[in-house]
Amino acid sequence: MAAHRILIANRGEIAMRILRACVGLGHEFVCVHTASDAASGHVRLARELGGEQSLRRIRSYQDANELFAVADACEATAVHPGYGFFAEDFRFARRAEKRDRPLIFIGPSWGVIRDLGDKINTKRIARSLAVPTIPGSDRPIFDEMEAVELAEAIFAFQDEQGITEGCVLVKASAGGGGMGIEEVYDLDTFRSVYRRIRNYAKRNLSDEGVLIEQRIFDFNHLEVQVAAERGGKNAVHFGTRNCSVQSLGRQKRIEVAPGFDPASLTYAFDAGAVLDSITRHSVHMAKSVGYDNVGTWEWIVTPKGEPFLMEVNTRIQVENGVSGVIARIDGRPETSGGVDIISEQIRLGLGEPLGYGQDEVRLEGVGIEYRIIAEDPADRFTPCLGRIERFAWKEEPWLRVYTQVPTALPGGEPYDIPMDFDPNLALAIVWGADLAQAMERGAEFLKGLVLTGTDTAGQPLRTNIAFLLARTETILHF
Amino acid sequence: MLNVKEMLEELKASPYEEIEIRTPHTGVVQFVGLKAGDRVLGPTGKWNEKPGTLLANLTREKNKKPICATQKGAVTDIAAELEGKFVEAGERLLTIRHFLSKEEVIARILKKALHLFCAPERAKYYFVPEIDAKIKAGGEQSVKLKDGMEMFFVSRMKRETPLAYSGPEGIIYAVYFQQGDNVDGGQPLIGVCQEAQLSLIQDVVSRVQGEWEEQD
Amino acid sequence: MDIDKRTQQLAGRLAYIRDIFGPRENASVAMLKHRLEEFLAQAPGLGMRELSQQVARLEELFSLLEGKLENELCPMDRVRIVRHPQRICLKDILENVYDNYTEIGGQDEWSIDPGIIIARATIARRMGKKTVHQSVMVIGQEKGHGQEFRNGGSIKPWGNANALYYMRVAEVENIPIHTYVFTPGAFPVEDYPGAAQQIAKNLYVMAGLKVPIVSVFSEGGSGGAEAIALADRRLMLSHGYYSVISPEGAAAIEGGLKDKASPELIERCAERLKITAFDNLRLGFIDRVIQEPPLGARPEHYEFFRELRREVVRATDEVVHQAQSLGPLRALAMRRKKRTADPQDIFVRWQLGAKARHALVEQRYAKFRDMSRSAFLDNRALGVRLSTALARGLWSVHSLLTHDLLARYKKRFSGLLEYVEAEMRALGQGVGGPFTLLSGGRRGVPPETLECLTTLSCPEEGACRLDDVWVYVSPKSREDRTLTCPNTATHGCLDLWAPDLFGEFAGVCSHCGHHFPMEFHWYLYNVFEFAQAYEFNTAIEAGNPLEYEGFGLKLAEAKRATGLASSCITFEAKLDGISTVVAVLASPFRGGTVGAAEGEKLIRAVERARIKRMPFIMYSHGTAGIRIQEGTCGVIQMPRVTMAVRRYIEAGGLYLVLYDTNSYAGPVASFLGCSPYQFAVRSSNIGFAGPGVIRETTGMDVPPKYHRAFSALSRGHIQGIWDRRDLKKNLHQALLTMGGRNLYYR
Repeated sequence: MAAHRILIANRGEIAMRILRACVGLGHEFVCVHTASDAASGHVRLARELGGEQSLRRIRSYQDANELFAVADACEATAVHPGYGFFAEDFRFARRAEKRDRPLIFIGPSWGVIRDLGDKINTKRIARSLAVPTIPGSDRPIFDEMEAVELAEAIFAFQDEQGITEGCVLVKASAGGGGMGIEEVYDLDTFRSVYRRIRNYAKRNLSDEGVLIEQRIFDFNHLEVQVAAERGGKNAVHFGTRNCSVQSLGRQKRIEVAPGFDPASLTYAFDAGAVLDSITRHSVHMAKSVGYDNVGTWEWIVTPKGEPFLMEVNTRIQVENGVSGVIARIDGRPETSGGVDIISEQIRLGLGEPLGYGQDEVRLEGVGIEYRIIAEDPADRFTPCLGRIERFAWKEEPWLRVYTQVPTALPGGEPYDIPMDFDPNLALAIVWGADLAQAMERGAEFLKGLVLTGTDTAGQPLRTNIAFLLARTETILHF
Repeated sequence: MLNVKEMLEELKASPYEEIEIRTPHTGVVQFVGLKAGDRVLGPTGKWNEKPGTLLANLTREKNKKPICATQKGAVTDIAAELEGKFVEAGERLLTIRHFLSKEEVIARILKKALHLFCAPERAKYYFVPEIDAKIKAGGEQSVKLKDGMEMFFVSRMKRETPLAYSGPEGIIYAVYFQQGDNVDGGQPLIGVCQEAQLSLIQDVVSRVQGEWEEQD
Repeated sequence: MDIDKRTQQLAGRLAYIRDIFGPRENASVAMLKHRLEEFLAQAPGLGMRELSQQVARLEELFSLLEGKLENELCPMDRVRIVRHPQRICLKDILENVYDNYTEIGGQDEWSIDPGIIIARATIARRMGKKTVHQSVMVIGQEKGHGQEFRNGGSIKPWGNANALYYMRVAEVENIPIHTYVFTPGAFPVEDYPGAAQQIAKNLYVMAGLKVPIVSVFSEGGSGGAEAIALADRRLMLSHGYYSVISPEGAAAIEGGLKDKASPELIERCAERLKITAFDNLRLGFIDRVIQEPPLGARPEHYEFFRELRREVVRATDEVVHQAQSLGPLRALAMRRKKRTADPQDIFVRWQLGAKARHALVEQRYAKFRDMSRSAFLDNRALGVRLSTALARGLWSVHSLLTHDLLARYKKRFSGLLEYVEAEMRALGQGVGGPFTLLSGGRRGVPPETLECLTTLSCPEEGACRLDDVWVYVSPKSREDRTLTCPNTATHGCLDLWAPDLFGEFAGVCSHCGHHFPMEFHWYLYNVFEFAQAYEFNTAIEAGNPLEYEGFGLKLAEAKRATGLASSCITFEAKLDGISTVVAVLASPFRGGTVGAAEGEKLIRAVERARIKRMPFIMYSHGTAGIRIQEGTCGVIQMPRVTMAVRRYIEAGGLYLVLYDTNSYAGPVASFLGCSPYQFAVRSSNIGFAGPGVIRETTGMDVPPKYHRAFSALSRGHIQGIWDRRDLKKNLHQALLTMGGRNLYYR
């Protein structure tokens, strides 16, 4: 296979991982950065591995024109969006494909991103394939009578399921970001809430459509890691992961793979069957829609063991590593320590076939991923800005740490946390033969981790390490 | 108390400002034949609706965009080696030597006289919607400030927190930051003029009007 | 008379002549100058008798040569005559033509608009031995012999509004209106009520005003003139001009609007525009020309005022006669004496009876409907014309039957049905009440309802709902390039990729909502469902009625480039099931300008909508105004189409106007601006005159965004602003919520 030159349209930790994967696969790369992000680890790494000519300064990571202009100037042949920014922007993917000088978009083809990028549309596709979805409407409702009937049905459904306090979610279909969304607990108030949301939508979004859905409290958040080749013929999954440990704003902090562990834990339902069902549904749906890259199917599982598909993330996710670390592929010895899903993504994106089937994918052991963040768990997880002076840990064979903080690199200098981006500092993944060993190793790593610095006010830098350690103890209580 | 005379002398000693014109984004640069020493104009017209002198064109993704002078002055140093090249964002194209106008001199002196409300930390600052609307409708001077009034949104790490004004009562006389740009901690955000200062400001204005001679 | 005074007068006459002939060399003028100078040089040495003889001879020579010069006047000279400070003005007319008058529109500079004079005046007529004072409302622009505050007779919107108010007063009092047009054009300010919008209102009201209107043109500058000139009789002074645009304006447009146009070009334009009284008489836009003394009427020409008086009285009489049948003897007398006699000797009562008032309006419509009929190319075969006429007749009968006669019974019947049904329901509720109470609690939910919570709804629509929304995609979307939104500086919009912008985004900046212009095809297919529409009157083509030099080629080029025969496309289309008549003014065809062909097509479309009882939607994809190369053939479309629109609205129709990109001048100041429902697509500009023209005519700078839709909305000119992507939805909703009583589709 001819070597490609891949434009890495991202920053930080993910850019570094893509960069390493490119080098590992024998491809060239081009890295971009903004003026305020010039000290980031990915810039340093790119300089080390590709020299100054592999680096370009741009105005903003969010300006697609900059990326395409750089791609042309550097004669890149493909573009990797990472996660965030343009990863799930079907227009970006479409432009890459349709422009006069096309670029390979390393991700699913744009039609797939568009179809699965819309939650309602995803729901309709899932339902057409008999994949279970959250009870409620799968298209905007414009008629009050219809809305009331739906709400009635949802309350009855919850009754039937033994949910004592039923709740219906009413949201504007064109809304987002927490606006135009309300919870309703009984049918009497439903009408007035419905009207309020509808009027809000009409006035502010000029679209009267309203969605009505069951609100599910208290659930497990599970994800299925899927990989599919171009052409959409072959698709496999790399098991599940559980992302139930979250901060206040539903931001994930700890992920565990596999999603359930019936070997060491007891569940109120048949956990093995649930895992089986959601992976089967996910791969089936991927094949049916012609999915052609790596992606994540997000599920919620109710306390009674009922799985519902929530959405599909048509991109590589932050937590891909924790799924990779428990996956092995028969006949590929380099995967004995886990599969590098990013390398797989690049391979698939450039059009290589998968080369193995589900039978050859083995899942082994338990992985735990920690997101180490400069934030104050005691103060509503407020980000903490400042300068990192020391960042070190003990290397272990069962441990992988990804960080863009150059302080952690050999000869690393102090690093000012840039304020334009998420204050994520590092991702750490530990692997154990079973859950107990993984937890033990996780605790060992966190205890040995050195991360010091000062915040902008001169106080010691606050991080969430203690929070992560505390939650490791209770990780079992999903 | 403010020594206006002294400050004026100080400014007269170096009445220039060097303005570096940088590329706003990547693209291929084409100069338009300016030479060092050429005079350029900033935006003109009653509403500043006519853009300044064309300095160079920057073409990115088949979109040729003009880069125009923001102030009047003389071109001093052109990075001619960039002609026809693809450049990164923020590359210096040329420098304009701008002679301070009366308004700018007044603004500089007043910056020392007014009560400055400074950014508590490095972040992006936005006016709260009510104040923003007032400024857009009636200009900065239309906003009366009181201690404890909610005035800004501070945006850091994608989180927004409100910031209240603290300081003497008065009106906003000058705004020193661009909404949406990063402001370093300690940098002034606004200059507040107290009622008692109005005569002082009158004085500064009339002194500068009389003593500062604008040059082209 | 004193010799000095007489020589002074002669000097004055010479100065006037030289003013009129401008910089041109002319033998007669040179001779007059030479003779006068000669005389002045000799004068001190001459005796009294000699002097008086010489002066008399000179005076004779002047009169002789003035008569000769009269024949050498070119159109531009006439423009200079009309604009000369010595030209008669309305005050002179009020003093000399009418017997008595009272100003009611203000006094000199103490007026809402000193450029316009409104007065109640009387004309005394003999009836046997009695003298009867007949009242009229006199309205006209006042140039005031160069008085600064009159603004040269350029009327501000509020001046026109005031004029309109007193026209209504005249209607209530049932007295005729005499209007005198002395305006170079309306003053292009947008402040409420807005130059264009107010003229449109004036035209709309005048189209249906139930009293005789007689107008006299001296200087008729386009829209400003039309504001008071929609009349039953249109007289014109022989040295006046009536034009779509000032010759300077036309020359500026010809020359490319950049530099000042040369005097030669201005002369040429004046020539080509066919602006003189006799040109307009020949074209049929003027009923009669009133002969002025050589080189134009000035205040000292008393004989001329008497002539003017006879003419306006006769014109008023004629209008009244036409509207109501005349006593046979008087008619005979009128006919016999026709021109020679003084019309005021035969008394005609100017108050109209109810029936006559109605007839008057009908006749006025017919009069304007007949104008400019030969100014466009009608390529339809005779058979087609006949069958169209027949179909029209049939449709009229059909509409009358279904909508007027049957509908009445249907309505009554369905009303009865509703009543019965409601009664039955009340009965059922009374009986059912106790049962529902007994069952209580939450009703059981049927299993199929539960099932619908988790299965695909409306499977027939398919699972995927995200296909491309637009039927027609702009060819601009095929180019791989980016564009910059004009709001980038203020809103921080990123550059947009053309295929996204002109394809999926429908030309709307995804960040700030700025609307980039789109082709009219986009609207035809994506909003008006043109693919299923029935287009009519395609054979009516724009022509070159004035044989304007060089315009034939330009017109042919426009037809070739756009594939259109005129800038107007008219068709019947169904919008979400509602049949409508739609007219589109397409900007690429000569800037969307309106000429005789467009006017005719619009009138036919409006009449079609009236006969078939359909809503009428007028979409202005962009119009630069009246097509200047058609001269008054273009201007006359303003009253013509407005009258048709008024008839349509009064017949119960819904007339909806939608503006896009740039809509200016004539059309906005008439048939577009008169709609009670005017909407604009975002980022469009609406106004009377574009910024360039305003700068040219008033010397004022125009603030940026002065004509933006949002400004027009805050000034009260339009009723709302719509997003291009929601146009179809909004139009449909508008059709359901607005409009006249004829919308039977409801």
